[in-house]
Amino acid sequence: MTAATLDPHEHHLTPSVRRGPVRRLLLGPGFIRAGWMFCLFGAIGFGLVVGFRWWGGWQPLFDMTPITLVSLLVAGPLGFLAGIGAFDYWTRYAIGSPTRPEDHSGHGARTWHDYFRVNTDHKVIGVQYLVTTIFFFIAGGFLAMLVRVQLARPGNHFFDPQTYNGLFSVHASLMIFLFVIPAFAGLANFVVPLMLGAPDMAFPRLNALSFWLLPIAGIMMLSSFLVPGGAFACGWTGYAPLCSTHQPLGAIFFNQGVQWAGASSIMTALNFLVTIITMRAPGLTFWRLPLLVWANFTTSLLVVIATPFIAGSQFFSMFDHVMHTAFFDPNNGGYPLGYQHIFWFYSHPAVYIMMLPGFGIMSEVISVFSRKPIFGYRLMALSLMAIVVLGFSVWAHHMFTSGMSSWLRVPMMVTTLLIAVPTGIKIFSWIATMWEGKLHFNTPMLFALGFLSMFVIGGLSGVMLGAVPIDIHVTDTYFIVAHLHYVLFGGSVFTIFAGIYYWFPKMTGRMYDERLGKLHFWLTFVGFNLTFFPMHLLGTEGMPRRVADYAPKFADLNMFISLASFGLGASVLVFLYNMITSWKNGPIAPANPWRALTLEWQVSSPPPIFNFDEIPQVVGSPYEYGVPGAQHAILAPSPTHAVEEVAAP
Amino acid sequence: MRRGSIASLLGIGIVSGGIAAAVALAIPWLPVSASKEAGRIDFVFWFVVTICIVIFAIVSAAILYSVVVFRAAPDDDSDGPPIHGHTGLEIAWTIVPTILVTAIGIVSAIVLSQDDAIAKNAMNVNVTAQQFEWTFSYPEAHNLTSATLMLPRGRETVLHMQSRDVIHAFFVPEFRENEDIVPGLTTTLNVTPTRDGTYPVICNELCGLGHSTMRSTVTVMEPAAFDKWLKGQSKAVTSPSAATAGAAVFKNNGCAACHTLTAAKATGKVGPDLDKLPAEAQQAKQPLASFVRTSITDPNAYIQPGFPKNVMPQTFGKAIPKQQLDALVTYLINSSK
Repeated sequence: MTAATLDPHEHHLTPSVRRGPVRRLLLGPGFIRAGWMFCLFGAIGFGLVVGFRWWGGWQPLFDMTPITLVSLLVAGPLGFLAGIGAFDYWTRYAIGSPTRPEDHSGHGARTWHDYFRVNTDHKVIGVQYLVTTIFFFIAGGFLAMLVRVQLARPGNHFFDPQTYNGLFSVHASLMIFLFVIPAFAGLANFVVPLMLGAPDMAFPRLNALSFWLLPIAGIMMLSSFLVPGGAFACGWTGYAPLCSTHQPLGAIFFNQGVQWAGASSIMTALNFLVTIITMRAPGLTFWRLPLLVWANFTTSLLVVIATPFIAGSQFFSMFDHVMHTAFFDPNNGGYPLGYQHIFWFYSHPAVYIMMLPGFGIMSEVISVFSRKPIFGYRLMALSLMAIVVLGFSVWAHHMFTSGMSSWLRVPMMVTTLLIAVPTGIKIFSWIATMWEGKLHFNTPMLFALGFLSMFVIGGLSGVMLGAVPIDIHVTDTYFIVAHLHYVLFGGSVFTIFAGIYYWFPKMTGRMYDERLGKLHFWLTFVGFNLTFFPMHLLGTEGMPRRVADYAPKFADLNMFISLASFGLGASVLVFLYNMITSWKNGPIAPANPWRALTLEWQVSSPPPIFNFDEIPQVVGSPYEYGVPGAQHAILAPSPTHAVEEVAAP
Repeated sequence: MRRGSIASLLGIGIVSGGIAAAVALAIPWLPVSASKEAGRIDFVFWFVVTICIVIFAIVSAAILYSVVVFRAAPDDDSDGPPIHGHTGLEIAWTIVPTILVTAIGIVSAIVLSQDDAIAKNAMNVNVTAQQFEWTFSYPEAHNLTSATLMLPRGRETVLHMQSRDVIHAFFVPEFRENEDIVPGLTTTLNVTPTRDGTYPVICNELCGLGHSTMRSTVTVMEPAAFDKWLKGQSKAVTSPSAATAGAAVFKNNGCAACHTLTAAKATGKVGPDLDKLPAEAQQAKQPLASFVRTSITDPNAYIQPGFPKNVMPQTFGKAIPKQQLDALVTYLINSSK
């Protein structure tokens, strides 16, 4: 059977859909079906647990812990995914219904409704990712504001201890798993296939599924505040045995939330790997890849190898909690440090998962706005690979004072210090790229420069922490809080902003407001430094992190930090206002407002539904600024003409 | 032009390095140093900070210089010179940082091995951490226990640390010492105090709801004063007067952290009010003396309504010697009447 023999209407409309608007509303993929299927699957999960308990004669019959886990955190979300339509094609294929591989009914966005359904277009998915992650960025930032309210003065009691510990735990989890990691995945989703000259990702349906796992994870983590007993409150690191045996029900919302986000991350990374390896345009060799593609290639390697470890650590922790196994319970032969080793075997590479895509964005932005080729391109790519390899050999530097075997500290210190070398190469090369260039300070470039200076401070405090004797003094103090925010906010978040502003014209077809963008940058840059730089001092003076109260001698600095953090929080409003108004009413963007050479700028803004009318032929490096007559790729002329044909239903 | 650019680059570098150095020197970054180990750690700290200031000065000079000098005019659409790299420069900025971090690694490893070495005359102290209190005991002084840590100045002390529930961490900023206390393991920490005074002992690993309140103090004193304290404590807990001995045992085991007892000026609210022991014994339908003893050695045997189970440690029966337990029971009975 070939696709051509089938009437196309047979295939992108399910049989039920043809039987009238009511049935279509209830049975067609969408939020209504997602709602009732969530309830249905949840009820099945509930029935399974209670049925098994009744059959085995276990008391009490209605044990809330396993019921919540199976029904609310596993079966319900699966029902939601089935209802929204993430499995429709595969289900039809599996049960032998007619399917058509070239079914494009779920591809591309013609109205805003198309952003609220399962969509296989990588450009739509990229935007879905970014909007979702910015939502969770705001939620996580709001939680941080509440933390700063509590810490504004010593002896404050705005929140009870469970809620307070929940605030910073959920803040960190959202920022890491629902903002930084997926925001980069969103940017790369939009940009990477375009840069490769490909019509889409290798597995568009898997790509859609990856996205829809994300809101599940985020809502799960946020809703743990509503659980009787309170949110999970053991820090995003979830150390055992505190988190595995001493926590209320909310803890498994974290365990499971990480699983959904992690699954999304792994699927996306596999998709990137296959796409980058197999779907490069003719002539686009690895040494001609834009560094953003290199960055996402290396990041995806990290994700695929490392993420299963955090899944393992959270499964074991959750088993200890729900099934009373004893992986980490020392009273029954468990080994608490085992958790930390497994956890950090993912979570240290995760730092680079949150950094390398930002490095890629930096390379694009700095080269374009300096009007110069990237300095030392091959060494830039190789240093990414070096970070991947070294990144797997440094995990125990999070455990210098954990009570692990003391001999392990020196080798871990050596690898940790060495990883500063490839990172340094990148920083020096970016500066050399700017050297003698023609610098244009548009908002993306400002954020890139902000990143460069802030990340140097974060990197240098990282070298300090790498030296074991210093780490012994400042570990688990506010010095760590300062360091990690300089790396993840001054580093990752600044590059995310740079990327969003840089590709905003390509994504929306409209220009953002440059003045508001610059205002946003300066507010963020100043607010960020006022908030986080004084934390170094708090830490070296000995104020521990993750406390609801502190010694009176730290009062003045904490009040200052709290006030500065509210300013930093307010700066996000400028960003939101700019994004929303520009998306609606901004001036129409040209195809290539930055005069960049990479492929995504050679098509219209926003790009045609399948990106390229003809696969481009790549003939050179993507960074040949200033080289007379140099070309990155040769594209077919008149890009707009053929688009109409494809877009027509 | 070239000489001028190097001069201004150098100028910016010196200014930004100077600002960074001023920030480093003018602000009191570290608390007082009260141990031998702290002195060595501070040396590593300033060694690394110096290297960091130099690198920061170079990088920020290059960034600031570029921003000022290479700014394009608004209508300048031309490209920069197509420089693709410079092998010598790239080798230099690979090799130099490698040398610097190797130096940091060597200095750190030497300091680490010095701090880990244990002197022959070292004193041992057992540290027990539990949600959310500290107990210190002196095995060389008949396992005398104390809720605060007392140390003689100038003598190396090895802390042998155990946890009864979750992971805690022993942190004294003035000692620059920090180590996790992991259930199921005994971790150790060496301290050689060098400065008299009282410093905070902080739990530095999130251990649950009372984490921010899990604090004690460490007092460093003259060796003679320490011996006197040790003798006085041993005498107090073994005193024939139950009032003296019981009060000392009550204090040393940290009972005041959770319980109210007017006689001991204790005002804790976590556990039942010990001023009302007779009434509580009646509620439990037990004779007062055996009720008090059982409640200490097996706290889950009877739970006063309104208080949760498993909060009071179940290890006091083993930890407190019988003679001291007797004194404590008598003291509690007499004080609550």
